[in-house]
Amino acid sequence: MDKGKILSRSIWVFHFASAACNNCDIEIIDALTPRFDLERFGIKLVGSIRHADCLLVSGIMNEKGATRLKFLYDIAPKPLAVVTFGSCGASGGLFTNSYNFYGPPDKIIPVDAYIPGCPPRPEAIIDGIVKVVKKLRTVRCVM
Amino acid sequence: MVLFYYIVFPGFLATFIAGGVASWIERKLTARIQTRVGPPFLQPFYDVRKLFIKEITIPEHSSRSIFMISPIVALASISVVAAVVGLNLINPAYGFNGDLIVCVYLLLIPSLCVILGASASGNPLASLGASREMKLVLSYELAFWASLAVPVLKTNSIRLTDIMSFQALNGSIAGSLSGIIAFIVAIICMQAKLAKVPFDIPEAETEISGGAYIEYSGPLLGFFKITQYMMLVILPLFLLEIFWGPMNSTVGILKYLLLLFVIIVLENTNPRLKIDQAVKFFWFGLFPFGVVSIILAILGV
Amino acid sequence: MIEDIVKEKLGKRVLNWVKRNERRYYIEIRKEDLEESVKILFKDLELRFSIASGVDTIDNFEILYHFSADREDKFFSLRVKISKENPEVPSISGIITAAKWIEREIWELLGINFTGHPELKKLLLPESWPEGVCPLRKDYNKNV
Repeated sequence: MDKGKILSRSIWVFHFASAACNNCDIEIIDALTPRFDLERFGIKLVGSIRHADCLLVSGIMNEKGATRLKFLYDIAPKPLAVVTFGSCGASGGLFTNSYNFYGPPDKIIPVDAYIPGCPPRPEAIIDGIVKVVKKLRTVRCVM
Repeated sequence: MVLFYYIVFPGFLATFIAGGVASWIERKLTARIQTRVGPPFLQPFYDVRKLFIKEITIPEHSSRSIFMISPIVALASISVVAAVVGLNLINPAYGFNGDLIVCVYLLLIPSLCVILGASASGNPLASLGASREMKLVLSYELAFWASLAVPVLKTNSIRLTDIMSFQALNGSIAGSLSGIIAFIVAIICMQAKLAKVPFDIPEAETEISGGAYIEYSGPLLGFFKITQYMMLVILPLFLLEIFWGPMNSTVGILKYLLLLFVIIVLENTNPRLKIDQAVKFFWFGLFPFGVVSIILAILGV
Repeated sequence: MIEDIVKEKLGKRVLNWVKRNERRYYIEIRKEDLEESVKILFKDLELRFSIASGVDTIDNFEILYHFSADREDKFFSLRVKISKENPEVPSISGIITAAKWIEREIWELLGINFTGHPELKKLLLPESWPEGVCPLRKDYNKNV
């Protein structure tokens, strides 16, 4: 069994929020509440990047956030999937013309899936997770 | 033959599988109490299998050898306890004199390995988790030993098979007044030894980002997880052997499930304590009860 | 009522008193009277200092110091107008220690100098940001 299949059954998520408005952070928590219950897919929020299989990035990258994001990606044990959350994660959202905008996360680290929305509905979050799980199982991930 | 007992049954492999099932029961019951669906049946095994395919990362400022050896030592010691406790259940002839004391000493080693491994991590949050674990161990070990003195006093023996056969003849130790107090004290100490809420202070996820385990990744974290699963099976079985009498097959399994249920309900209905609250609770709240039960046992009640 | 007490204690320093609604009062004062007014509101009347906010209106700069009367559920904001040629205002961090960081933030983003501030250095912007370029000014051009 290749690594992607083994990883797809038990994904531990580390949430990194840099200069976020915190709307997306609230939606992440409420996807774990009983109504949508992500734990039945084996997904768990962990406190340390060393335990993580998925790096969930939300918010705008300014220069301080970008250096820390690169550092987190480097010290996380591979194989790792990266998912960006919200329209800020996909392209910069409202803040593309702001003075401190460094770039969207995929300019800094390779990204596996994008979850659109401002903030994304929990149904969109579940759809994004299905995308990640399918990708892990089918694509032969280099990671 | 000894190797078979130690590694396959009832040692490492059998206890690991039983521990995975027990951990699933815990997660499913917790989810049901919170009106969620909960994870599928093999989830604890999926977690461990995934941990073994990740790469090991060793922090730059850590003491490498201690960092890498601690999880393995924890797993080895809990396997020995599993072999001793399990063999006593199957065939009393395999016990030896003093195996009660050996078991309690060996049960301390996983906590010690967490402390060592966390101190060797080179991370300030890990050393915070290590100091909290040290304080927790200092607080509950006292009450634990006090409660364990009651079966020893009553049966005049430190051999597990003697205690079990005494209970087969005279009724379980938890039937007497001193026994039931000691049993309750031991259950609460077991909750702390398993590092479950309200005593999961060393691994407080939201407070200190994983605490003692913050720098562990991949297979090393997998060894710690397997140790946690095995403790979830071994500790209640150990207490049941000493306190609650004859453990034949079906009755024994039912008693174990009841004790597991008590652990899960305690876990879901309590908030996490602060470390100074926990130390005060064990020293000044629970240890006096242990002393009372010892006195009652000496008096013959 | 607390607003009458405030009005009475500030006395002649009030240049303009605006009551936006039942809970919000905007008081305009000169920047020379800032320290005494803050002492009156913070020490004598024991209002809580909430935050300070700086704005670049095209004619001049404005700093609003927001004080909260928690028991009566009312907010008083002291408005200080600062000219663009000489953007300076006395610092209130001698009276309220908690004002140190917000004054650093207003200094680095708007370029207003707080005289008497113990350590005026960057708080939010990265180290590689050029000195003297203030992003929240209306004449800031990103492409320069």
